[in-house]
Amino acid sequence: MILIFGGAYQGKLEYALSTYKLVEKDVYHCDMESMVINFDKKIIADLEKFVLACVKEGINAKECLEDNLEKLQGKIIIFDDISQGVVPIYKTERAWREMTGRCMTYLGQQADEVIRVFCGIGNKVK
Amino acid sequence: MNIFISGGCKNGKSMYAQKLAKEMADARGRALYYIATMIPTDEEDHKRIEKHIDDRCGWGFKTLEQGINICDLLKTNIDPQGAFLLDSVTALLSNEMFKSDGTCNLDAGRKVAAELSAFAKGTGNTVFVSDYIYSDAGIFDTYTEKYRESLAYVDRQLAQVCDQVIEVAYGHTYYYTFAN
Repeated sequence: MILIFGGAYQGKLEYALSTYKLVEKDVYHCDMESMVINFDKKIIADLEKFVLACVKEGINAKECLEDNLEKLQGKIIIFDDISQGVVPIYKTERAWREMTGRCMTYLGQQADEVIRVFCGIGNKVK
Repeated sequence: MNIFISGGCKNGKSMYAQKLAKEMADARGRALYYIATMIPTDEEDHKRIEKHIDDRCGWGFKTLEQGINICDLLKTNIDPQGAFLLDSVTALLSNEMFKSDGTCNLDAGRKVAAELSAFAKGTGNTVFVSDYIYSDAGIFDTYTEKYRESLAYVDRQLAQVCDQVIEVAYGHTYYYTFAN
């Protein structure tokens, strides 16, 4: 499993596609309205949106990922790092921010490789 | 050398950028320019500008005021071989995107990216300072989101034309290079 993270619009998906020679049809984009993840795709992008969908439904996203760890093997997982701004006013956003951090920490531990993308430049941190 | 610097707010980017620009000017024995991008609109802005002028006092910067159309500077009587400090890309994009007459140019990101890339090529000795505003856990209004997306676009384009890409985090500096 490879985990790629970084701030919004840093070119994380472009980096993954070009580095691993993949195309858009290999990508599943998570949706903030749905807790579905298509494990058939090689890249699972915007996982923070899956976390938000879970938070809205009162489901523990980290436990979902733990339960599906086997299916995540061999995947490239892309996350927006949303941990560095002001503490959000709204409860849902606060819960989302915290749970995203927990999920990223967990997947970072499980991943064989962790890459942070800054300004389109990938930097291996694990 | 063109240098791109980004990082969080109040992390020491400006001071670090000033140092780099001054070193470039000194090494080449050329003029040292500060490009002031902020267009003041109220008393608070004027005070902020005064503070920045005080911070730069004694460094030998010549201040060039250019809040929009950055490449117009290249047509003026400046030494393009001098060292330039452009602080900040963030303010420049804001001026280009949100006009004083209340209109908004949603395509400003492309304009600013193209113009700053041309400015980098035209001078070869510019330090660009931007702001890393991409790790918030907020769901923003359309205009704010468009602004973040546009600034990130400008940052990424500039990173490609600059010789050095540096992140400043609490006084620490990280250097990045493209794999190829």
